[in-house]
Amino acid sequence: MNRHKNLPLTETTYYILLALLEPAHGYLIMQKVEELSKEQVRIAAGTLYGAIETLLKQEFIMWIRGEDKRRKVYLITEKGKEVLRLDLERMQHMIRITEGPLGKRPMVRLTKNSL
Amino acid sequence: MRKFKLFTDIDDKEETWLAEMAKKGYELESVWFGHKFRSIKPEIVTVRIDYRNFKNKEAFIDYCLLFEDAGWKHIAGTKYSGLQYFKQIKENAEDDIFSDAVSKAGKYKRFSNMWMSLAVCYLVMSVSYISGGHINVNSMLNPKLLYLTPGLWEKSGAEFWRRFLFETPFAFFRGFIWLLMPIITMIFIYSSIKARMLYNKQRKASQTS
Repeated sequence: MNRHKNLPLTETTYYILLALLEPAHGYLIMQKVEELSKEQVRIAAGTLYGAIETLLKQEFIMWIRGEDKRRKVYLITEKGKEVLRLDLERMQHMIRITEGPLGKRPMVRLTKNSL
Repeated sequence: MRKFKLFTDIDDKEETWLAEMAKKGYELESVWFGHKFRSIKPEIVTVRIDYRNFKNKEAFIDYCLLFEDAGWKHIAGTKYSGLQYFKQIKENAEDDIFSDAVSKAGKYKRFSNMWMSLAVCYLVMSVSYISGGHINVNSMLNPKLLYLTPGLWEKSGAEFWRRFLFETPFAFFRGFIWLLMPIITMIFIYSSIKARMLYNKQRKASQTS
């Protein structure tokens, strides 16, 4: 089966799409991503600006009219939701096939040891 | 205060230099004609440079505001200047405007493309100029033909030298001005390749990390 050409999404792209399930402007996206990822992923301004441009071009997000006239507000599109869903399924599959043979507990112990 | 310092590529050298200037009490004000500085209280600050052009004023304002929200104040650059200068204003902010190597590499790619499109423009002009027959091969072989003063070569002594030296800049201009365009083209191609190499280096760094 042919895989969608945009899969897998990068971690940055995945989090931006996830954050844009609700309308947000640039800085709000940065804050949301930080919160959603438990401060594991921080996107710098230049990187975010480029990512937004790419996502707009791919039509995964769109520009909508917001209250703040100077800051552009974005929202995920149907196409964006679809690709996010596909990546979720891809990861769910990976989790399923890994959890069985590897088991859940040793993984937890491993992270504790490595901390 | 104005300083003329040429940075042919946008690696960290210019950023470091601007941070040193800020430490001495000079903040970059504009880059329209050389680096223009204004006096400030000396400060230790991080300066970062991005490369972007904008379709309209709204996009430019939105871009500047995003950086400012994130802790980077836009200090120099315009909608069309390409190079955009930022200084860090939030202490706890990240120390770079890029959080991954791929997007940092993208800056060099945009920079390289700009030089290449300029090079193409100049290449077209060079070719049309040269094929338009503005180059007199004869005068390349016999520079005497470039001098138009009647009877110049029959004169001698001080009179000859006075007229000869007077006309030399004009003759040089007449004979060799066309060389300027291919030379500029070469410089642009060189700058483009240099930026492209920086792009490849960054890309590679992102693959190994």
